[in-house]
Amino acid sequence: MNMEVETRLSEQVARYMDLAASEAKLTAANMANIDTPGYQALGMDFEAEMREALSGVDDDRGPRPVHVKTVEGLIARPDGNDVSMDRESLNLAEAQLKFKTGVALLRQEYQRLMDAIHVDK
Amino acid sequence: MNLFGLMETSGSAMQAERMRAEVVATNMANAETTRTASGRPYRRQMVVFAANQGDSGFATSLSDAANQNIARLPTPGSQGDAAAGVHIAAVVEDSAPPLKRYDPGHPDAGPDGFVSYPDINPLTEMVDLMGATRAYGLNGSAVQAEKSMISSALEIAKT
Repeated sequence: MNMEVETRLSEQVARYMDLAASEAKLTAANMANIDTPGYQALGMDFEAEMREALSGVDDDRGPRPVHVKTVEGLIARPDGNDVSMDRESLNLAEAQLKFKTGVALLRQEYQRLMDAIHVDK
Repeated sequence: MNLFGLMETSGSAMQAERMRAEVVATNMANAETTRTASGRPYRRQMVVFAANQGDSGFATSLSDAANQNIARLPTPGSQGDAAAGVHIAAVVEDSAPPLKRYDPGHPDAGPDGFVSYPDINPLTEMVDLMGATRAYGLNGSAVQAEKSMISSALEIAKT
């Protein structure tokens, strides 16, 4: 029987964590540019990217760069900057929680594997 | 995915905001300076922020090639560009004319007895300083969040 350390689930969780990190990165870039005149907040469609990543796992494709777009519907300040401190703080907290969820899931998956290895003990 | 790139982004912002606070401090310190190296009264200085558009340096290109460009964050429109961080594009001088105050005994008084003082409003400077402090704090807490993400990623290896 073919035994694999990397399961389908662990690969999916890894992609999920990649996306969470991408989201955090975008949020950090937005936060860094909170005072840059004319800067427009960047964002990504997490669900769409996740769907794409999941089909990528099934079709054995490598990770792709995420599609980054400017966020619509934000209120711009007179200098053309539309970054909101509260929105970005919330997004960062969310991305962090997603990442930590991924860590927990991955740990559990590896723990399952360890249990299988130590099943005779 | 390079999590440390996140810290670089927030770090660049903290650096820029601290520079902004320094410029504000210089302005306030020189609120009464009538003589500078150029012979004119001091002029209020301002920083201009600009977003980093991802550099094309060797290290970036190499890491791009090594990672097959999966970790780079593209900006809208152009793929493969990192939208990371901020930098100070320029420190510009305020073009407002100096304030004239009548003081014939002053060593820098003109022939008409008026002295040119820099046009610095403490209120404007304090508001600018507050903005810089807030933005610094915001990016500081972003670094905290990033640190906690990295250390939680290390937990995966612990069983």
